[in-house]
Formats: sequence, structure tokens, C-alpha cells
Amino acid sequence: MEQKSVKRRKKDLSFLERIYIPEILKGLSLTFKNMIRPKFTIEYPEERFIPSAAYRGRPVLIEENNGDERCVACGLCSRVCPALAIEVQAAETEREQERYPEKFEINMLRCIFCGFCEEVCPEEAIVMSKDYDLTFSNREEAIYGKDKLLVPVNQLQDRIDFLRKYK
Amino acid sequence: MALKTEEMVLNMGPQHPSTHGVLRLELVIEGEIIKNVTPHIGYLHRCFEKHCEVMTYPQIIPYTDRMDYLASMCNEFGYVVAVERLMGIEVPERVEYIRVIMAELQRIASHLVAIGTYGADIGAFTPFLFCFRDREKILNLFEITCGARLLYNYIWIGGVMHDLHPDFIRLTKEFIKEFRPNLKELNDLLTFNQIFIDRTANVGILPAETAINYGITGPNLRASGVNWDLRINDPYSIYDRFDFKIPVGKGENGTVGDCWNRYYMRILEMEESLKIVEQAINQIPDGDVSSAIPKRVKPPAGQIYSRVENPRGELGYFIVSDGSVNPTRIKVRAPSFVNMVVFGELCKGHMVADVVAILGSIDIVLGEIDR
Repeated sequence: MEQKSVKRRKKDLSFLERIYIPEILKGLSLTFKNMIRPKFTIEYPEERFIPSAAYRGRPVLIEENNGDERCVACGLCSRVCPALAIEVQAAETEREQERYPEKFEINMLRCIFCGFCEEVCPEEAIVMSKDYDLTFSNREEAIYGKDKLLVPVNQLQDRIDFLRKYK
Repeated sequence: MALKTEEMVLNMGPQHPSTHGVLRLELVIEGEIIKNVTPHIGYLHRCFEKHCEVMTYPQIIPYTDRMDYLASMCNEFGYVVAVERLMGIEVPERVEYIRVIMAELQRIASHLVAIGTYGADIGAFTPFLFCFRDREKILNLFEITCGARLLYNYIWIGGVMHDLHPDFIRLTKEFIKEFRPNLKELNDLLTFNQIFIDRTANVGILPAETAINYGITGPNLRASGVNWDLRINDPYSIYDRFDFKIPVGKGENGTVGDCWNRYYMRILEMEESLKIVEQAINQIPDGDVSSAIPKRVKPPAGQIYSRVENPRGELGYFIVSDGSVNPTRIKVRAPSFVNMVVFGELCKGHMVADVVAILGSIDIVLGEIDR
């Protein structure tokens, strides 16, 4: 097969076009223009980004004011989870709601933050919080138990208001 | 006759910044000239199609997000349209408008990444940052609406997750106002830059006939001069209500179907998308967004092929249902996968350095190629 290069070089550029200086100046003028524009970025670890109420961050369980969990361990969240990240074990209790989760674990390595658990929950007991920078140093640490998942209800009020308004 | 040298095999990737993900290219070269290219794919394979068979229909939506992760909204849109056609669901007007606005904003965001990274691939780094700045504004709009910035899970079967944020319309109008001058700036900086034109014009020419034979779709096909867009030629949702043009490659700076043309199509398409968004936010009716969401998604036994125009081309879903809550089979016709096929043809006879320019102009997403 005869080798051929498809590329054709333009030979009819004018002198100004050939030295490319006008093009470089055009590019640089934009650079200088942007120096005086307002900054678009934020300096993340020092300056934190605060998401709106719509934000779907780490899923958390609601802890009532008396320290009990609102969850009744029906297991719907665990069944609807597309990533199979939630494990619930129910137990009986003397309280009014009769059942509570003895064990509630979310594997944060599996969680895809889709929000189906929050959507399906009949008790509004699991909601998406605003936490977004989750870090772990090993796989065991990434399995969040009830100790990490329970968050007092007053810290999640704006998300609950948002859900009531838009769902 | 050039000097004959011995053939050599050069591996490019999988860890290469210009292969746009984990793609390995096996280049057979003779000196600088490329004789043959074999793409090796599959490094990102996640068994999407097989995995769908054990999931319910709504559970698949977050997974469709993860195929073409730069155009998640459009992927969801395509899947949801397919399931709705299978089930015969009519969605409310407002939902249709919201979906179109989201899909078109997503198209702009996706094209911004495409042209930004294309510039960065061939040595122009500034436009990359500018493109990402503008994309960030779109992602902010998505975030206040559905709570996520990349993988939305927003468009559901029969509706959308929840209604628009009260500020959404105002912020979108502001974005359009800010974005138009930025697009012009981008044109000045990159599109009509002589250095960029010299680098990309007449490189990787894809004639219309070859494009059709290989089944190329999307901006790559239109750059070759073929007027084909599913939004016009096979309208889905409410695209027939909007007034917009389909940009077609004319070869302003070289030959029809070269890299520059493929790049320029995306700029023109962004302008058209802006027009659609503008018309849609002015016409959007009030109403409910979740009334048509079925309690249980259980399509009747049957099969359907439904296609939509993704930023990268025709995205088709073939769904076979046996009447249960899980699909029997889902096949995805991914535009990036089909567009990648022609890559070897385009590279033949070019220099090694042009491989990067050609690959960038095809605009592939490996998440979609491998699924």
C-alpha cells in the first residue's frame, strides 16, 4: 500500500498570519481581561461550599428529641436500594412505634446517593443530609452504623421542610 | 516515495491523559505514519445490561446515569421515554418541558466538556478552564433542582423527582444572558484561532458516505454534511414545538467532515440548545410533576426500541419485558461505542500526534463505550 498523508498544509497565509503574533496577542488579551474579573472559584478546605436544601449528601437517620430513632425498621429502604448498601435488623420495643432497628448499617462505599431510600421511607426517618466530604482509610470504617447515622432532627429541619414542599 | 522503515507497534493508554479514560490504542506505525489502529476497550465494563435483569425498572435509572456520565440527564430521558412508551404512560405538559430544559442544558454542559478537553488535548489550556467555568453554572442549576451535580436520578418514569426550584427560571435566564458573550469569547479564543485551525482542519476527514456506512450519529455525522437529528427526524417528547435549526458541516476552514468541523458542530449546537431552552422556559406551563408516576412499574409483556438524540449521537434502548417488575433484557445502543468504530479508518495515513486530535474530535466517553 502506498503511504500517503491526508494532511494538506496551507501555504497561502499572509505574513501576519504566518508569524502567529496577532493570534497570541488575542489570546493574551483575554488572559489579562480575566485577571480583573471577579473570582469564580472558592478555596475549598478553608472556605466551605454550603449546598442548598435540595442537595443529596450522606443519608442519615433522624434522631427524635428524646434520643430515640424515628425508624420503625420496615426495611423498605434496604429493598429499594439499587446498590444494596443498606442492612436493617428489626427488634421489638416497648415504645409506641413497637419496632426499632437493632442494627442499621449503610455501606458508604456502595451508596450511590440516589435518594431512593429517602423517597420510599413512610416515616420520613431516613433523609439525605448535606455532608459531602466523606473520607475513610479502610473498608471497615466505611460501614456506617447507628452511631454515625443518627442525627438530631433539628439539624435536618430544612431538608424535611424541602421534602414536604416538593414531594 | 518516502523512505520505508520497519513497522512498529506502539501502545497508547490505558493510562494516558488524552485517551479520555481507560482506552488502549494499539498503533501500528511506520516511522511517524499510522498504518493501523486497534482500540482495546472493556477496562470500565460494569455489566450494566446483565445487571439490569435483576433490578426493577426505576432502580435502573441511577445506573443509566453512569453510562455517559457527562450527559446523565439525556441518558435518563432516553430510558424513561422507552419505558413510558412500553407502558403507554402520558406525562403532564410541565414534565415534558422540564425534561426538555434539562436535556438541553445537559447538552450544553456536555459539549462544553467536549470542546474544553479537545482544546486541552491539542495544547490550548485556557479554553478548558473557561468551559468548565460555564459548565459549573449549569451544574449549579441542576444542583438546586435535583440535589446532585453529576449523577442526577432526576427524571423518573412518569414524571420527575420533584418540581423546579422557585429560582430556577430566573437563574436559567441569567445563565443564558451570561453564556452568550462567553460563547463568543470562546470562538475568538479557540474556534477561529489560526493555530487551532491549522492543527485541526483537514485532519481526520470523514466523508458522508463512510459515516453512514459505519452508523455514525450525532455531531460527528452532521459535521460530514448529513442533516440527521432525531429531535427533528424522529421527534420524541415535545421537540416538534420548538423552533431550532440543525447545524450541518460546511467545511469553512478545510474539508467537510474534518476535525475542525466536528469541533465546530458542537459550538453551533450549543447555540441551538440555548434557543430551545429559551423557548421552553418562556412557555413552561404550571402543573403537577408527579401525578403520572406509577405506583408499581410493571410494563406489559412486549418489546420496544426507543431512541433519543444524546449529545454524542443516537442513544437507543431496546427493552424486552415479560410482564414482571424486572426487565428480561435491556440492550443499549451507545453512541460513543458506534462512533469509536470509525476511528481506525480516520487515523490511517496520519501522524501519531494527529491520533489525539482525531480521538478528541470524536468525543468519546468510556463509561458509555464499556457500560
